Amino acid sequence: MVVKLKEWASERIPLRLSLIDYIQEPVPDHLNKFWYAMGATPLILFLLLATTGILMTFYYVPTPEGAYESVRNITYGVYLGWFIRGVHKISVNLMIFTLLLHMIRVFITRGYRKPGELKWLIGALVLFTTLGLAFTGYSLAYDQISYWGSVVVTNMVGQMPVIGKPLVLLLRGGEEVTGLTLLRLYDLHTKLLPLVIVGLIAAHILIIRVVGFAKVEGGGGEHSFYPDHALKTTAIAIGLLIIIVNLVAIFPPAIGQPANPQEVASNVAPPWYFSAIYKWITIVPREAGLFGVMLFFALLTVYPFLDTFFSDRGIKMGRVNIVTGTIAVAGFAALTLWQVVG
Amino acid sequence: MTVINDNISRRRFLSSAFMAIGVGLGVGTLFTRFGQFLIPAPKPKRFEEILIARETDIPAKTPLPIEIGGNKALLLRTDDGLVAFSIKCTDLGCLVSWDSSREEFVCPCHQGVYDKNGKNISGPPPRPLDRYDVVKKGEMVYVKVAV
Repeated sequence: MVVKLKEWASERIPLRLSLIDYIQEPVPDHLNKFWYAMGATPLILFLLLATTGILMTFYYVPTPEGAYESVRNITYGVYLGWFIRGVHKISVNLMIFTLLLHMIRVFITRGYRKPGELKWLIGALVLFTTLGLAFTGYSLAYDQISYWGSVVVTNMVGQMPVIGKPLVLLLRGGEEVTGLTLLRLYDLHTKLLPLVIVGLIAAHILIIRVVGFAKVEGGGGEHSFYPDHALKTTAIAIGLLIIIVNLVAIFPPAIGQPANPQEVASNVAPPWYFSAIYKWITIVPREAGLFGVMLFFALLTVYPFLDTFFSDRGIKMGRVNIVTGTIAVAGFAALTLWQVVG
Repeated sequence: MTVINDNISRRRFLSSAFMAIGVGLGVGTLFTRFGQFLIPAPKPKRFEEILIARETDIPAKTPLPIEIGGNKALLLRTDDGLVAFSIKCTDLGCLVSWDSSREEFVCPCHQGVYDKNGKNISGPPPRPLDRYDVVKKGEMVYVKVAV
């Protein structure tokens, strides 16, 4: 029966349907180490985010009058709504965190070297798109913290040199924050940015399949992607699910006071992943600070090419990366803690 | 790298270049139009005068909270006469409040401070508080609002 069905399908869709053959490609043995198998983690989290996100769109109302009540309804009214929203909330935080971990690993081991430059470049774009998704999603809750957090972040974006002004106009749909703004954030969050990130993730994976995994010094041996590595990834996925379910139970999603544009929230603060930037621009002169942030992101994106440039001139980039990576991580952690705790 | 064909004729080069420029211009125009579609053109502003109070009813040293066009503002006697200040901080858009003991406007977000004339005197605000035009007709005070 199955064979017949397979035949029937392959006559009509003449693709090679035996996916197993396709995914049995060998992968290097160093991928057995957990530290090197981190790349799939953000992908697993993204799938969770897409699923829970789509479920929530069935209840969310993207208007200033209806948004807060609909989030409240999802959280307290709809059956298992609190769990769906909780998984979504925890997953986005974990996705950003694991993307950062993955990037740090690639940075320290210089996995982006030729021919992997495009993997890094696309990976950096995945991080920026994820931050965009996280921010637009954060704004949709429409309680006081979310509303005022998004006000300060959009104004922060608006102050960026060159691209700031058009970006804010595009985001707000005009000079002022109006009902259009929420609709745009919703559209970006549920349509445009997901499309972009799916394309980027697909390109990232495609390049890995074509170019192969980065070589590691002293590494040798291979094993097949399926079932060996797939099993490892499944184990990571199950581990993640256990962590997420527990975190949702410990920190169930809540909602604060409804957004009030006439009354500033007492504790205006952006989400933790923007805290470092937020703190940074308040302790250094504003324009220089924002220029610094843009420069940092630009350099991060093209880093593989900088590495090649300096390596060709005899600089030991392995050591440079350990020093600059440590400074960047310590700086990010210190600024984040300063903002969140202090 | 394998070079497939390094011997392109002039005719071929010119036609490729012509096509590339055409595609570039076409795509550029398309995206410019998309951009124009997404960023609505600012509507011409029409101003309306809204009656706020009788001048004698405005206190000397404390600002009078008013609401104009859905936005909160503070009406205050300053060195320049009566001024209606927008309470939107010029830094990141939080709302300032009046500190009567210091006679200053203070923003809770980053401790931006403005003096009683709305001038930014400390913290991150890049410029003074925005003002609404105040018009006096006899004893009555009006504020100009864009509608």
